[in-house]
Amino acid sequence: MTMSSRRRATAALALTTALALTATACGDDGSGAAGDKGGEGSGKGEIVFWDNNTAVRQDIWQEIIKDFEKANPDIDVTYVGVPAENVQSKYDTAIQGGGLPDVGGVGAAMLAGIAAQDALEPLDKRLDKSPLKGQLNPAMVDSVRSAGGGVELYTVPTSASNGVLYYRTDLFEAAGLDAPTTWPKFYEAAKKLTDKGANRFGYTIRGGEGSIAQALDAMYGQSGIGDFWDGDKTTVNDPENVAALEKYVSLYKQATPSADLNNDFTKMVAQWDSGQIGMLSHNLGSYQDHVKALGEDTFRGLPNPTTGAGVRVQVSNPVDGLGLFKSSKNKKAAWKFIEFAASHESNSKWNESAGAIPANTEAAQDPWVKKSEPTKLAAEALNDGSLKIVQLPYYLPDWNTISKAENEPNLQKVMLGKMSAKDFLDSLADQLNEAQAEWKKERQ
Amino acid sequence: MTATLTAPGKAAADAGTGSTMIGRTPRRQIYLPLGLYLLFTLIPFYWILLFAVRPTGSTSLVPWPITFEHFDKVWTERSFATFFQNSLLVGVVSMVMTTLVALAGGYALARFDFRIKRGFMLALLCSQFIPGALMLVPLFEIFAELRMINSLASVVIAETVFQLPLSMILLSGFIKNVPYVLEEAAWVDGCGRFRAFCAVVLPALRPGLIAVGSFAFVHSWNHFLFALMFLSDQGKQTIPVGLATLMGADSVDLGALAAGGVVAAVPVVIVFAFIQKWLVTGFSAGAVKG
Repeated sequence: MTMSSRRRATAALALTTALALTATACGDDGSGAAGDKGGEGSGKGEIVFWDNNTAVRQDIWQEIIKDFEKANPDIDVTYVGVPAENVQSKYDTAIQGGGLPDVGGVGAAMLAGIAAQDALEPLDKRLDKSPLKGQLNPAMVDSVRSAGGGVELYTVPTSASNGVLYYRTDLFEAAGLDAPTTWPKFYEAAKKLTDKGANRFGYTIRGGEGSIAQALDAMYGQSGIGDFWDGDKTTVNDPENVAALEKYVSLYKQATPSADLNNDFTKMVAQWDSGQIGMLSHNLGSYQDHVKALGEDTFRGLPNPTTGAGVRVQVSNPVDGLGLFKSSKNKKAAWKFIEFAASHESNSKWNESAGAIPANTEAAQDPWVKKSEPTKLAAEALNDGSLKIVQLPYYLPDWNTISKAENEPNLQKVMLGKMSAKDFLDSLADQLNEAQAEWKKERQ
Repeated sequence: MTATLTAPGKAAADAGTGSTMIGRTPRRQIYLPLGLYLLFTLIPFYWILLFAVRPTGSTSLVPWPITFEHFDKVWTERSFATFFQNSLLVGVVSMVMTTLVALAGGYALARFDFRIKRGFMLALLCSQFIPGALMLVPLFEIFAELRMINSLASVVIAETVFQLPLSMILLSGFIKNVPYVLEEAAWVDGCGRFRAFCAVVLPALRPGLIAVGSFAFVHSWNHFLFALMFLSDQGKQTIPVGLATLMGADSVDLGALAAGGVVAAVPVVIVFAFIQKWLVTGFSAGAVKG
């Protein structure tokens, strides 16, 4: 063998070895798929936590984890931030192929799908023996129980992020307008604050991803209808809702930028924070972004406007919660972490950072809730009985598909005048009625 | 075929009005559309850069005053330094593996005749129609069996496998362009097939190798799905996943997102700046004459 041949052979061997080592190093077997029974474990060791809404919440979770590890030195929590937009697919892949965490953030909107795949541990018995018993907001517990199918509790609720109508106080004052506390005032302000020539608009409408929930909020808010179902049929295509949607959609291009057709929340919030738009419908989650962009004194956030008759109706926002996965081999430690995260101190800390409404009733009494006006008003509206909540059917396994991929393009057609509001809502109603019937049949 | 001759008098008149000619095309007919196209493509980049260096809360349309707080935040607090290293590792190893295997496969396709060659080529082409998402669960299960979930190697292998068909087709086209007689001449001079390949064919493949390698690097650098699904450890995630984690369900730090976008774009821009000449030559030669 010549020198150069030897060199080549050595190089090839080194490369093969390196690739083989790389291929096998540092991996795991991705155990923990749906159907794995898992185990209680010793209550010590490592647990993995998937955060379903990382981004700006990452720091506060790291702080809570640090506090937990200090209080429980035998347990290590590995934090994994999952991009909010991809949580569903990440869970679905792990349910099929393995690699589920011990604890995961699961919002009500995706709870039905995950629970239906038998991936989550029922939590009622654990909660009965826990210090958390009686400390969680009953409405939020009901909401997540309903989202999980109505029988078992699959997540411990941690927060709710109610819908808010943000408006620019400085622009309203300059135009001599009242706060948009009623729908007639809202429409008047949207029209008066619009000056297309100066690129100023009264409102920004959500036409892209997530548009259906916002349209439903505006429809039920105006019609005053307080229930999503009338027996086995949905009320979405009630004539009053049809009229409400027609009026709401007529704002597009008349009082909103034409680019709103593709508005998802990121673009919508960024547009509003740029200071050229009077009002924005979103939720408590973006409050801190507005404070950073506009300062505290130039805007306010109110619950949904009331009807002319003084009735306030909002659709339910998904309640966020923590789920314990069946496949966990250390459920005892995982439950300890859930208890800690939903306790007064941690829950208060997290929700203060997110500007959301705490699920822990003691945390909801903390001084910061009263200082943050939108959170305070949303919490008051929830608790004083003045607000009717239309419970969206998050429990339907098809809800995400129906309320997103299948109908968002149709709502865009309505905005563009290529489809009537009635046809759109009739089609939506048919899909919902069918999904509801199927769901009921499966439960029998 | 028709040819048009420009009268000397007309050319002089054009020059007089500032409309000079490149070949037979007036300069403004080249630079005006080019300028408009550049404006169209560069405005989004300007926007990202603006958000990345503009202080939070500023609505200024010019990047002044400049702040680097967003870069500092993503690089240190949001672990982009780690994501960058991971992406670099995935990109470079995928590039090397794709190029090496595609070179061997491309050579076989170009120089050997075997019974299922046409079928194999067809299969390579058809494999391009299968989206990565469709293969996600089977791949996940295979990597789980191999205990490779949460390892960068799983991403490298998946990226390499998905890029091989196109890379092999491109390189085989390129190898076909190198005259076979040159290799035969090397054999006559005493070289074996491998040595002849290294001495004669390989140097002529430089544009093709650069094109395929850079394409593999950029694709692996930008690809999101496999990294998201196969990697869970925060310390092993790559830049595209890191960028996605900056967008919450109802809140987004646009400054940090833009700074992260700039960090993600820099290596790709550098790669393209250095290899654009080879890239165009490589792709056109490999694609047209295959």
